[in-house]
Amino acid sequence: MTSSQTADRSSPDAEVELTRSITGRLLFFYVLGDVLGSGIYVLIGSVAGEVGGAFWIAFAVGVSVAAITGLAYAELATKYPKAAGAALYLYKAFGNRPLAFLVTVSFLSASFAAAGSLSVGFARYFLELWDVPPALLVALLFLLVLTIINFIGITESVVVNMVMTIVELSGLVIVVGIGIWFVAQGDADFGRITEFETTTTPIFAIIAGVALAFFAMTGFENVANVAEETVDPQRSFPRALIGGMVAAGVIYVLVAITASLVVGAKDLAASDAALLEVVKADIIPVPLGFMTTLFAIIACIAITNTTLVAVVTQPRILYGMAREDVVPGVFAKLHPGRRSPWVGLIFSALVVAALLVIGTLVVEAGGGIDLIARLATVTVVLLLFIYFLVILAALKLSGQDVTDQTFRAPRPLLYVGLIGNIVLLGYVVVDDPTSVVWCAGLLAIGGVLFLLEHFFGRRNRPPTAAPGDPTTTTTTGAEGA
Amino acid sequence: MHVLVTTDGSRQSLQAARTFLGFADPTKVTDVSVVAVVRPLSSVAFADEISGASPASSGPERTFRAEAERAVATVAAEFDGWGPKVHQRIRSGSPANEIIKAARQLGAGLVVIAAGGRGLSESVLMGSTAQRVQHYAPCPVLVVRPQPRARKKAPKR
Repeated sequence: MTSSQTADRSSPDAEVELTRSITGRLLFFYVLGDVLGSGIYVLIGSVAGEVGGAFWIAFAVGVSVAAITGLAYAELATKYPKAAGAALYLYKAFGNRPLAFLVTVSFLSASFAAAGSLSVGFARYFLELWDVPPALLVALLFLLVLTIINFIGITESVVVNMVMTIVELSGLVIVVGIGIWFVAQGDADFGRITEFETTTTPIFAIIAGVALAFFAMTGFENVANVAEETVDPQRSFPRALIGGMVAAGVIYVLVAITASLVVGAKDLAASDAALLEVVKADIIPVPLGFMTTLFAIIACIAITNTTLVAVVTQPRILYGMAREDVVPGVFAKLHPGRRSPWVGLIFSALVVAALLVIGTLVVEAGGGIDLIARLATVTVVLLLFIYFLVILAALKLSGQDVTDQTFRAPRPLLYVGLIGNIVLLGYVVVDDPTSVVWCAGLLAIGGVLFLLEHFFGRRNRPPTAAPGDPTTTTTTGAEGA
Repeated sequence: MHVLVTTDGSRQSLQAARTFLGFADPTKVTDVSVVAVVRPLSSVAFADEISGASPASSGPERTFRAEAERAVATVAAEFDGWGPKVHQRIRSGSPANEIIKAARQLGAGLVVIAAGGRGLSESVLMGSTAQRVQHYAPCPVLVVRPQPRARKKAPKR
């Protein structure tokens, strides 16, 4: 017995020692990295197309609504620091299993659509580096590689996560730097950033832009993934979550203003890899070829980081549902050596691949809008629905499970967020009814899995047990591969 | 001697603990620490497959932490009445790193760990936890291999 280290000194007689690994700083980078990669690289062109030169306003509004939603998440996460996230909050608030299931399936569907949109975005930046393979192939291979990475478990390194986030940040710093240089040279035409180029009134143009820009802020809800492992969640959660979102928001608005000043909304909207246009404008005295390559690589890393979180989250959700006996138990099967839920991994990859293939076919058949925007819209619809419910849950749970350390979100802001989310949701659905069809299609996957378990999953349970009852299942047993 | 018995919630890890118990001398062991590592950034942070508890009943309140606690308690129960003091420890992060760190901090004299799968994948894909632990641990490591399938040697229950 030579227990000489400090870790044990604090509780020398404790029978059970529990240590957690996610500090406030790591949590901040996790949020920032997850949020930053998702939208701005992929979607800035589409947003600019909707609004015109003043599209940075759309980002500002989108960021604000999302940050308010983040407040609700921060409050609930400090009360219930558990991995199930939104589903748990709604279960706590309304005690209703079907609603919790619907939210879980919506979250899963949103994650599928987001991964699809991001894969296409990755392909577009990748083609700037090496313009040979077809975009669909690149997107599919990208997905395959991420799935393998997830299977092996490289994603577990918090250090890698932090490095990728810093790289992500550097790309946006380059853009803002170019903007400052541009303004300092005196070439900037500030009239540009107040222009609206749209057929409707500015207010609708902004709402349309916000709906898309909102995608750029999504990802923060994945923070629940690490909730259980956060050190001192009461203190670190509100700081890291809100801090990360505000930081991302400020960067977004600066980047949007820069892109608008330097390139102009029309050119942004016409570009496949819009942020690259800022670099290609050749404003700073650095060789253009070098900058273009560097920036395309940074963009690819940024998108990879965010997509990885989505790819990790999908099998996790499926695993959780399988453990609760609402989807087939096979999703709880782990690879014996890797401890990875390989069935869920493969299934998720196939769903996203199918989304990409179907989406590409639909676009090629001339039906509908750009695939990135389409899948982003689907993500946004599903997440707006979830965010709305989460804020509702936060309000409903006011006063419950409160300790003196619980973070409390300002109530007026929550009401603003509630209205903001529902207005956006209404607008998107009315403006683009097709997206609802896509959402329904994705939600149906969850429904089918539920029915499969309901009707065929019985062999896992004792004959008298109902779904969700305690089981004696052995489907999760670690038999040989 | 302080012995670190690791569990990832798998049956093999329980089997590893039993293998160790099968030959170890309780008078030479002062402390046993049963250690589990939760992996927050992976798809399944921890899966308990040995306690027999039903995760379905806890519904959305199910946590990976709770699974880790149950798995550790199950392995710790194997040492009931054996003699040495048994500690339960749950850490968080990358399993190999945390196990090695724990071994250092506790001044462990032995680490007991189960080696992953039987299949080809284990030798092809690099970086398994057991491999890294045997490379970098500050003390001897007992790696318990899975029993070959052909030989019928039922684990004692």
